[in-house]
Amino acid sequence: MPIEIPKDKWPGSVRKVTLGATAAEGGTRAKTVTVGGQTTMPYLQFEAPTPNPPVVAIEIKSRKPADWSLLLAETWGEAMADAAQWAKKAEEAGADLLVLALTLEDTPESAVKAVKSVLAASGLPLIVWGPGQAEKDNELLVPVAEATKGEKLVLGICEDKNYRTIVATALANGHLVQARTPMDVNLSKQLNILITDMGLPADRILMDPTTGALGYGMEYGYSVMERLRMAALQGDTMTQLPMIVTPGFEAWKAKEAKVGEGVPQAWGDWLARAIHWETITAIALIESGADIVVLRHPESVKRVKEAIGELMTA
Amino acid sequence: MALSGIQIYKLLPQTNCKECGFPTCLAFAMKLAAKQVELAACPYVSEESKKQLAESAAPPIRLVTLKAGTEVKAGNEVVMFRHEKTFYNKPGLFVRVRASDGDIAAKVATIDKYTVNYVGMDFSVDGFAVEADSGDFAAAVKAVRSATKRPLILIGDPAALPAGLEACSGETPLLYAADSSNWEAMADLAAKHKAALAVKGESLDELADLTQKIQTKGVEDMVLDLGGKTMGEWLMRSTQVRRLALKSNFRPLGYPVIAFPGKAGDPSKESVYAAQAIAKYAGFVVLDSFTPELAYALLVLRENIYTDPQKPIQVQPGVYEINNPTADAPALVTTNFSITYFAVANEVEGAGLPAWLVVTDADGMSVLTAWAAGKFDAERIAKAVKEFDLASKVNKKRIVLPGHVAVLSGELEEELAGWEIRVGPREAVDLPAFMKQALN
Amino acid sequence: MEHSVTFTGENINATIAVPTGALLSDAARQAGVEIGQPCGGQGRCGRCAVQIQGGKVRRRSTLRLSPQAIQDGYGLACQTVVEGDATIYVPPQEKIERTLTTDRVAAEISVPPDYDYDAVQTIRRLNLRLKPPSMDDQTDDWSRLQTALRLNGPFESITASLPALRKIGNSLREGNWEVTAVLDHDWPNSGRPARLIGLWPGLTQDRAPLWGIAVDIGTTTVSLWLVDLISGQVKAQVAEYNSQIARGEDVISRIIYASKEGGGQEMQRRVLDTINALLETACKRVQITPQEVVKATIAGNSTMIHLLLGIPASSIRLSPFITAINHPPALIASEVGLHIHPEGSVDCLPGVASYVGADITAGVLSSGLDFAEKVNLFLDVGTNGEMVLGNHEWLVTCACSAGPAFEGAGVVNGMRATTGAIEEVWIHSQTYEPDYRVIGGGKPKGICGSGLISLLAEAFLTGILDKAGNVNLTLPTPRVREGAHGAEYVVAWGAETESGEDIVLSRVDIDNLLRAKAAIYAGFTVLAEQTGFPLENVAKVCVGGSFGKYINVEKAVQIGLLPDLKWEQFEFLGNTAIKGAYLALLDWRKRQQIADIANRMTYIELSADNTFYEAFTSALFLPHTDLSRFPSVQAALAKE
Repeated sequence: MPIEIPKDKWPGSVRKVTLGATAAEGGTRAKTVTVGGQTTMPYLQFEAPTPNPPVVAIEIKSRKPADWSLLLAETWGEAMADAAQWAKKAEEAGADLLVLALTLEDTPESAVKAVKSVLAASGLPLIVWGPGQAEKDNELLVPVAEATKGEKLVLGICEDKNYRTIVATALANGHLVQARTPMDVNLSKQLNILITDMGLPADRILMDPTTGALGYGMEYGYSVMERLRMAALQGDTMTQLPMIVTPGFEAWKAKEAKVGEGVPQAWGDWLARAIHWETITAIALIESGADIVVLRHPESVKRVKEAIGELMTA
Repeated sequence: MALSGIQIYKLLPQTNCKECGFPTCLAFAMKLAAKQVELAACPYVSEESKKQLAESAAPPIRLVTLKAGTEVKAGNEVVMFRHEKTFYNKPGLFVRVRASDGDIAAKVATIDKYTVNYVGMDFSVDGFAVEADSGDFAAAVKAVRSATKRPLILIGDPAALPAGLEACSGETPLLYAADSSNWEAMADLAAKHKAALAVKGESLDELADLTQKIQTKGVEDMVLDLGGKTMGEWLMRSTQVRRLALKSNFRPLGYPVIAFPGKAGDPSKESVYAAQAIAKYAGFVVLDSFTPELAYALLVLRENIYTDPQKPIQVQPGVYEINNPTADAPALVTTNFSITYFAVANEVEGAGLPAWLVVTDADGMSVLTAWAAGKFDAERIAKAVKEFDLASKVNKKRIVLPGHVAVLSGELEEELAGWEIRVGPREAVDLPAFMKQALN
Repeated sequence: MEHSVTFTGENINATIAVPTGALLSDAARQAGVEIGQPCGGQGRCGRCAVQIQGGKVRRRSTLRLSPQAIQDGYGLACQTVVEGDATIYVPPQEKIERTLTTDRVAAEISVPPDYDYDAVQTIRRLNLRLKPPSMDDQTDDWSRLQTALRLNGPFESITASLPALRKIGNSLREGNWEVTAVLDHDWPNSGRPARLIGLWPGLTQDRAPLWGIAVDIGTTTVSLWLVDLISGQVKAQVAEYNSQIARGEDVISRIIYASKEGGGQEMQRRVLDTINALLETACKRVQITPQEVVKATIAGNSTMIHLLLGIPASSIRLSPFITAINHPPALIASEVGLHIHPEGSVDCLPGVASYVGADITAGVLSSGLDFAEKVNLFLDVGTNGEMVLGNHEWLVTCACSAGPAFEGAGVVNGMRATTGAIEEVWIHSQTYEPDYRVIGGGKPKGICGSGLISLLAEAFLTGILDKAGNVNLTLPTPRVREGAHGAEYVVAWGAETESGEDIVLSRVDIDNLLRAKAAIYAGFTVLAEQTGFPLENVAKVCVGGSFGKYINVEKAVQIGLLPDLKWEQFEFLGNTAIKGAYLALLDWRKRQQIADIANRMTYIELSADNTFYEAFTSALFLPHTDLSRFPSVQAALAKE
């Protein structure tokens, strides 16, 4: 007698969120990216197909970062000095979309210029991050949002103490926002409530539950994501949003990836280790429900994309 | 079906006799519901209640233990997702050698000696798989045994395996693998040598059929190889088996699972397959390629996934750098409760102020709670400052205490002679202003 | 090195030698100069500010002082260390406002209808007529008395202490072998012999009063009821601040203080002084002497009971949070230090755990929770919030640290609920202009707990605050602005206030209030989750303590402090601890019932896992992350 496989029937599903707008949709992107739509826990194709695969974004910066690992500097080379160049190379490396991180040195003018140059250089949908300080973020993101009206960019990063300005400009200019909270199911939900309370439709929000790198608290992010996804499937509307996480940023901050000297011998080869660190962090997070992973190294991008391909077949 | 504390309470004597070691029957019932005590601790529970409670308590996934000089356990898991309780038995990490490989003893010895330290814990691989191919299997097993005391997985057909089994008699290895064509011979071997037996099948129906047949031969300890070509397939089968065991209480598949990520073919893919196996329910993982950097990453992943999520979220104690501090940046002190840490770090980071953040081990409690419970006192703070060698990082020997524990400043001055103790604001919100105005 | 420190001030002139590094507060104490330290020397409250008129000192923390005050030489005594000879001016000490009125429900206390002194009181008073001794009957006094007692009462065996024995001969002869005996015979089958408390010459009228006291030692307030054990009537009710406040406002500060050299004795003395003074006052009111009181039944949280009895309390605050004793044995007044009859019985009621003490078991008794058919919730909010969920079948309890925000402390413009406190606020939803009511009707000085609850609720419902408590600075009103402690809302402009300064609700205050309410609501959630009993099915919420008396239930629900139940499901019971102590004082069956409650209550330690933190972060939102738990608030928001 064949075994009856227990299948979960969930009342809820994740919202579909589309990033980027083509010319026909009022933007200039060559293509758009849609994530979300799941009705099962990650990749349980025997319950229901995964409607949209997770996607890989590559993070580039508006100017050459001084604090990135040497390994990254080696692989991206000269392109790091020019956002447009870098964007092109990232697209060639297989990125499904791009993240452009602005810096503290940027002015509103330089920020707008950098964003425009990236949009001109690549047809991929774009996520733009402020430098991470409330006032500066608001100062840079508002002109960027206005200058790119209709592109359906994702503006980041909204946090519970600083979300109003970014949400307001996203609302006015047809963009999306990235809502980040520090590894807590309730906080994620709360920020989504605050943002939708301002009138931004939920299908224009990506939630970023924050994660640590492998060995640096990754498991907290991992479980928070599983819980968020489960809550979404159970019908909790304020968690039914696709998730974006930044394993690249986290892994390359870890000593294991960042430095090659003065580390224990048992850590093995630097480059291979760094790629493992970024890849395994990303894979674990994809298994726990990430829809967008933001990476930094092309080799990690290749491995993660292959894995996604395999997860989509069953 | 798991019972709630109140439901279990109704099955207990309700006399509050305290003989189980808990103050009330309800307290005991709640511990039972959380699977933190055994029912046997209650001397007065009725037979009828015992029967009802036993059903809700039997482990749905069999515990399989491989033994040699050390032990590896797999099974006994109770949840699908780690946040629901915790994952208990970390998957054993094995490395495969083949009888035809050259210099097996040396290769195994190197891997056997490999240890890596992660936050104060020493990790190493758990055992070795020896495959009978064209080489001399008995000699290979002996060579492996000469180089390691760890448990073994013996891979081969019923004809080849006995030689290997003889070479490691008295141990509990895992035999790989019984399938529909050889299961009888394999089961006999496993029964004879008291070994655990891996069972391989192309479908779950086939696997369940095999385990039931093998069980009739007297073999109880089994491990499942689920096959599957892609990551998607593997995830599906692994999930289904776990679910059948936990949710349907389906005994024929209530066994731990073994994974061979090396079948991906190329080492870069093997690492990804192995990561998935660790996260998604494998009880044993057999690697074909061993490198220190991969072993390190996988061992850390395993540790992370198997950490008890019920404990308060803690930050690793240490000195954290915020906004690339120089030696002139101030040093702030806080506890290792994650929410406290994030509150402080985010305020300072968000204000763009460079700082050193000394995170002390306060058992994951917030500043006031830890202070109240004696986990954030002058002694602990002083210990952290010394242990993390803050003095080597800053020019000015000065630390800033949270305002809530101003009362500690006196004792701290004694504990940390030569350091200036400053009392900061009580709320993280006020930190940036304090740092700009008071710390110059 | 020793330095000479001189204290001056109104009626103060003292000099003391102290070593380098001594705290000014310690020096003052050694010099016999009283400087109040309500926060226990944590540099939190700023009430120990003194002026350094000369000499060398160093200030560790100046958080509570303005730059001007520092320039004027002020320093916090508890945060300033002596580094050379110094002259210190001690400003007149701000008196802790002693405006406690006798409990308002006082007059309404009715004697339990089934109270029968002869049947249920453990104190027995007997009129004895003894046969005088003679040459034929040379029985000793004590045997003679024992025999008379056995013949006249239900006693099997009788004991007496040495001091009591010393007095019997005189009393017998002075009364010419007619005496009144008072004994504590405990409850039937207690196994303990009856104990002679005292022997008075002469006989006593049958219905003449026999005195006992019920006491509740609160961390903040000590209450005492003087009771006639014959009629059961409460004859006087008095209350006073616990004088331990001078050494710490919360139990943790006091435990720490008590663990210092001599601190334990001081704490014991302070609480005894408070109780004995109350006793004196109450006795004066009915014109008796305290020695006529023969029984005291005492409720209080575990820390208070430990400090009263001089039992080291350190283990209460340290993991795994163990009390030295939950159920003290029967004690005698002279050994405790109570100024009732020295042989009088002292009965400290049993507690459950470090943070669930006899105040809660007594509270449960007086709320009737342990007999209820349906599941009820009992809540007692002070600096700690303790709660009990259950019915006649089971009882679970937990305690959470809410912090003093609802008592008006730890909030920039917070204050106790006394004259000048804003106790209720209404905000116009279009203009954002507030309207408020002040206790006493004068100019406002600050905001008390009930005012803060109503202010938070109004600010939230009118959109001044978002659900996370962020002040919306984009609103078209000058009342929202960036302040010294983050964004704030101005409740009263300086022109309207007593001090001339604006009264505001700041970001820091909001965070404090959110944490306090979240801790309490999270406590409910954990009890409900651990038992599998849904909060919305609770039949009745009984609120004890002074907290409940003045708060507006609707507002408390709107901020998510209390569960969203109908208002008629809430019952405010006042000081349930002393009511419970009173019932136990009268009736041994009630006393047994409290022991039974303590034995049955299952204590849940919230720090044992992260269930509480989950519930806490979930409740750290207005009204709650899960809005479906608050349907009435959802409806109110939809209307706005």
